[in-house]
Amino acid sequence: MNPALRFTLCSAAAALTACGSVNTTYTRTTPSATAVPTKTQVNDVLTQIFLSAGEVRMFPSKGGPLEVQVDVINNGFSYRGFSYRFDWVDANGSVIPSQLSVWKTSNVPSGGSTTIRAIAPSEAATDFRLQVRRADQ
Amino acid sequence: MKSLAVHHAACIAALTTIVVSGCGSPAKYVETGSPESVVSVGDVDMQDILKASSGMLESLIETGILKTASAKPAQLVIDKVVNDTSSQFDVGELLYRMREQLVNSGQATVVTTFGANAEDKTAQEQLRAQAFRQGNAVDGMPSPDFSLSGKITQVKRQAGNTQQTTYTFRLTLTNIRTGLEAWTKTVDMTKQGTRNSVGF
Repeated sequence: MNPALRFTLCSAAAALTACGSVNTTYTRTTPSATAVPTKTQVNDVLTQIFLSAGEVRMFPSKGGPLEVQVDVINNGFSYRGFSYRFDWVDANGSVIPSQLSVWKTSNVPSGGSTTIRAIAPSEAATDFRLQVRRADQ
Repeated sequence: MKSLAVHHAACIAALTTIVVSGCGSPAKYVETGSPESVVSVGDVDMQDILKASSGMLESLIETGILKTASAKPAQLVIDKVVNDTSSQFDVGELLYRMREQLVNSGQATVVTTFGANAEDKTAQEQLRAQAFRQGNAVDGMPSPDFSLSGKITQVKRQAGNTQQTTYTFRLTLTNIRTGLEAWTKTVDMTKQGTRNSVGF
């Protein structure tokens, strides 16, 4: 590759990633014991490209009802905000209406991740649905 | 000549009104607390109250503190929650949502006839009179397990035209039998911008 072109590309990449990007250090290299498999229906491709769900963990909280933790990873080049809502469902798959299921917001820096979490409203909840949407910029 | 100028001015005013009203968005219903809601930089919005209520409930349920009560379900008395912000809203918006969840799911009951600040004075008087008639003035009265109190505060800062406000919702549950704090939770919300907007 032409050295001038290579320099330009490297500079552009550095400019895109350096500003506000974070470096993350992990000690865990294997999935958590409470990790669960997930399925995502993608309706907003851009959100999926830049914001992706990492590990999803689900386990009983100290009080009894389930707790879920979802690692959200920002693969983009800018600080990103997003809205999300957890809905809890019972063993029959019916949604459990509750005051806990509300839209919340979070932010994640470029190259970084954040963990969003929710607590089920009662022991009747056995599973959840998570909706994520890009924040208005 | 003068009447022509007045006529022109009236036409311009009418056209301006039509253009301005045409550009505005018509009123519509949005889901309460949804990402289509109005976001105010210097005020507590409905979605902030919903988020605070949800965060408080999650913490209460997660810790299982209500299950430690002697009564099943736990008996709760709502004490004062002070709105110490410049934003005007009723703290009942927060508390009633929490009550609805806790009471309707059978995790707690709210005692409305306890203490000097009893919510339902009529019921309290009736209960007192009934207990007195039956000769058990103490045993006949409700004996709640926990008292809920709290405060909502704000910290405002500005840099140039950008305003930033952090609202902190604090609630504390006190064990009435021991007088000790049994649970406490803070939920923070920071809003930043130069003006209010629609959507978040």
